[in-house]
Amino acid sequence: METNEIPIADPETEEEEIDIAPVEEIIKNLPDNSRGHLIPTLQKVQDVYRYLPAPAMELVMDFLNVTQAQIYGIISFYPQLRITEPGKYIIKLCYGTACFVKGAPIIGDKIHDRYHIRPGETDASKLFTLQTASCLGNCGAAPMALIGDDTHGNIDPEQTLDVLGEYKKDDAEAPATEEATV
Amino acid sequence: MSTVTKKACNIKINGKAASVPEGTVILEACKQNDVPVSNLCYNRKLVPFAACRTCMIETVVDGKKELVYSCTQPVAEGMEIRTGTEETDRYNKACLEMLLVEHPLDCPICDKSGVCPLQDNTDMLQMFDGRFEIQRRNEPSIKTNPIIEFYLNRCIMCGLCVRACDEIQGVQALDFHKRGMSVKIGTANDEPLDCEFCGQCITVCPTGALMDMTSSARGLAALFTETHTTCNYCSWGCTIKLESKKGQVVRIEADENYDVGINEGNLCAKGRLGHGIIHNDQRIESPLMNVGGSYKEVTWEEALQAIADRMQTTVNRSGPDSLAGISSEKLTNEESYLFQKLFRSLLGSNQVTNLANARAPYLNAFMLNCFENGIVSQPITKLQEADVALVFNSDLPSEYPVGGNSIRFGTVFSETDLLIANPRKVVFDSRAKIDVRMTYKHGSDLAVASRLARIMIDNNLVDVGKAKSAIPNYNDWVQSLAPYTAQAVEQSTGISDDVLTRAAERFARDADRFVIVGNDILDTNEGEEILNALLNLCTLVQHGSTGSVSIYPPREHCNSQGVNDMGCTPEFLPGYQPAKDSSGDLFQNCVDGTLKFLYIAGEDPIQSYYKPQVVKEALRTVPFLVVSDIFMTDTARMADLILPSSTFAEKDGTYTNMSRHVQRVAAAVIPQGLSKPDFDILIELAEALGKPFENTDIASVQQEIGSVAPIYKGVFPGDKSVQWKPASTNANPQFRINGTSTGQNGASGYPFTLQTNNHMFHIGSYSQYAKALVDIGPECIAELHPDDAKELKISTGDNIVVESPEGKVEVKVKTSRVTSRGMLYIPKNWTTVPVNALRNGEEGLINVKISKASG
Repeated sequence: METNEIPIADPETEEEEIDIAPVEEIIKNLPDNSRGHLIPTLQKVQDVYRYLPAPAMELVMDFLNVTQAQIYGIISFYPQLRITEPGKYIIKLCYGTACFVKGAPIIGDKIHDRYHIRPGETDASKLFTLQTASCLGNCGAAPMALIGDDTHGNIDPEQTLDVLGEYKKDDAEAPATEEATV
Repeated sequence: MSTVTKKACNIKINGKAASVPEGTVILEACKQNDVPVSNLCYNRKLVPFAACRTCMIETVVDGKKELVYSCTQPVAEGMEIRTGTEETDRYNKACLEMLLVEHPLDCPICDKSGVCPLQDNTDMLQMFDGRFEIQRRNEPSIKTNPIIEFYLNRCIMCGLCVRACDEIQGVQALDFHKRGMSVKIGTANDEPLDCEFCGQCITVCPTGALMDMTSSARGLAALFTETHTTCNYCSWGCTIKLESKKGQVVRIEADENYDVGINEGNLCAKGRLGHGIIHNDQRIESPLMNVGGSYKEVTWEEALQAIADRMQTTVNRSGPDSLAGISSEKLTNEESYLFQKLFRSLLGSNQVTNLANARAPYLNAFMLNCFENGIVSQPITKLQEADVALVFNSDLPSEYPVGGNSIRFGTVFSETDLLIANPRKVVFDSRAKIDVRMTYKHGSDLAVASRLARIMIDNNLVDVGKAKSAIPNYNDWVQSLAPYTAQAVEQSTGISDDVLTRAAERFARDADRFVIVGNDILDTNEGEEILNALLNLCTLVQHGSTGSVSIYPPREHCNSQGVNDMGCTPEFLPGYQPAKDSSGDLFQNCVDGTLKFLYIAGEDPIQSYYKPQVVKEALRTVPFLVVSDIFMTDTARMADLILPSSTFAEKDGTYTNMSRHVQRVAAAVIPQGLSKPDFDILIELAEALGKPFENTDIASVQQEIGSVAPIYKGVFPGDKSVQWKPASTNANPQFRINGTSTGQNGASGYPFTLQTNNHMFHIGSYSQYAKALVDIGPECIAELHPDDAKELKISTGDNIVVESPEGKVEVKVKTSRVTSRGMLYIPKNWTTVPVNALRNGEEGLINVKISKASG
């Protein structure tokens, strides 16, 4: 099964004007232009924008002397790195054996029915991006998922949408963290 | 040859004793000893990668048995190697079996069919009884660029294409994307491939996942007829494999076998994709006679008789000196030899030349001076073992792309130091540990070369005493370097003295040095002085340091060297024996009316000579003009008689490359239409004159050349090329006093200097007829520094008007940081943008002004 696929960059996103000053700052602070700095640099850039915008990548390519094929080769290797802007909340749905058996696929289907997204996709309102994970190490609370910074355990698949419903596009603050009971 | 010598290791392969250099990987050792080992991801030009896991062998060292992968494990003294044992076969077969599970096995329509390493390995390992159910992949093929088709269903992830693109070509257009089961090779985000289109990835691909879309046949590659011949574009002289089917050339491939050609299986876009000129409906297919402005087809007999009659009457009426000939830098040696023989022996005229020599006769003088100074230069095949490579004013990926491949190989395997001096920030990506870039102000070449020599003397980087005693005019020469102080040179070139010092230090050390000089120096008005300064530099290290030095004169076309060797110059007979020359400028002689008959064999001076106005007037004035060519060029359109000649794929003979390797040209197909090789035309013309040549076949003409020009004795190749050596190796070294730059004439009101040279995908007058090359290099695009463009309010995609005091052209422009500020770069290969009109006979850099085109 294809998991964590990164969707092809949306041309509209690429044309979007972004402020590249933070990237220039990140590059300026690198000790030299050795390729070894590539992955930390990408992580720092992603911390700023939540994804890796094409104009920012141009600067990184220029400075670290890597080609487009190489930099996107690296980016596509790591699911952590994204080239499209994710939704406000990233759902990491555990697809490990325990979660799978206890209904993770049903949760996935429910999400798809409501938000029309499959793993790797972002819904149209840019609220959620769905990813799957091989195992999040919390099998006792299966099925479980991470939504944004929150951990949700023992999800009743039938109640999936209630859990997601707590998350709103215009929330200034994320809802209080619910620790999973183990 | 490198200064690092490698010890020999004595090993045993399958019980047979062998000796290979220390550090050789086992697989390479086996191959060199003709022992086959299964493998899919190994290529001797690349760093070992160990992706396919099918090359396991058994080694025994000091009685200890081990199973190792032979592509990464180096040999050791006393190692016993066993290949194809029951155990290794079992492992290798298991890996191969996995690859075959998903492979489409669509061999009948595959370009590698019969020449496929995957098939060969399957056969070698007897992998006929797979245990798994075959699950063919069936993704659509990707054809988003005009040249290379990606049919990734056949891909086995060996990484050869990714590595060749990176290590050989330095382009890195391909990489692995995603990971695990969904990993695939390709471009960033599946964007259309936009690269140098060298096609090395096609050559190295072991399965036909990458295919050449310019090929006119699919599948059964093993049944193509292969003809090894020499490429007819640049002067590097790569051996190419013309593959033909049913009398038609279908594609050009590289041959990676050992000792085939100087290029070791590397090719560039021109060499691989330029076969579109061979079978082309725009070719001239019949002799044409100009009858009152329109062309009438005539028979060969009529045409040749008309030429012979005209020659005879011109000799009778105006004397032999009223006839002249221009041979082409694309004719074979044998053709050029007969061409000058026709003029000298049969007609009695010494007025025979070629365009490079007409413009820069000092190139030949430079080569002879090198010999006199004891610099004979190594075969160019040794470039990849160089310790230092100095690339002087040459944009390697465009000018000598395969030379660039050799240098990159050297930077990986011989730790070659790379020194690049160029007015533009040329792109050349390699793994060189030392990579000194001297980006100097356009036109200050002489100062760079002179300063390098002075640094070596001032800093005692060479044994000054030794050089002084070896070269009589040492003191005079050193005096001529006086103006090149650190400050003065920094001022005139814009390079800091530290950079030059670093370059000088690397060049002066004990090393095997290679100097590659680009043709751009001809455009500076100081070509001769620059070459002399470089020769002095080489002479200094030759006699004042250890190691060796090789320098080659800049040559542009496939046989620019040979046409001079064969004596198609008024100054020299074949083999550089001096001739009495009193002819003067050939085109001016036409204009003045002293020349009554001109024969141009395969050249288009209206487009390619630096004085287009004079040429046009000359061709209009000269009473009788014969042109032989493949296509209807501007020059041919002015001829009284046009003879259709053959392409390189339809004739036999030899070309001599810029490093003097005499290499074979072999016919793969019969000539199109009524066209004939110039060799046949010249033989028949001599017959029509009533003075037939005694030797009328290639082999006996070669023998004749060998006896007339001793340097060519015994160098005509069978299937291997030979570099000709000067007859006398008695060195009589002498410095040519360095001139001082007169400075470039900066005309006021023309703030930019123009650089024009060959585009990466085009050279000469033929490449524009090759469809594939036009597809990837469709239009002439000038390059301007973004800061200059900003000031002029010009952006990429605009049309600009470029004006010099002599003329103006309109051209599309793009911004690029490769071209320095104050410079404009325009490739010279488009007849629609005749850059020579901007020069129009003026020497030196061309000063231009730029404005945005209206509308």
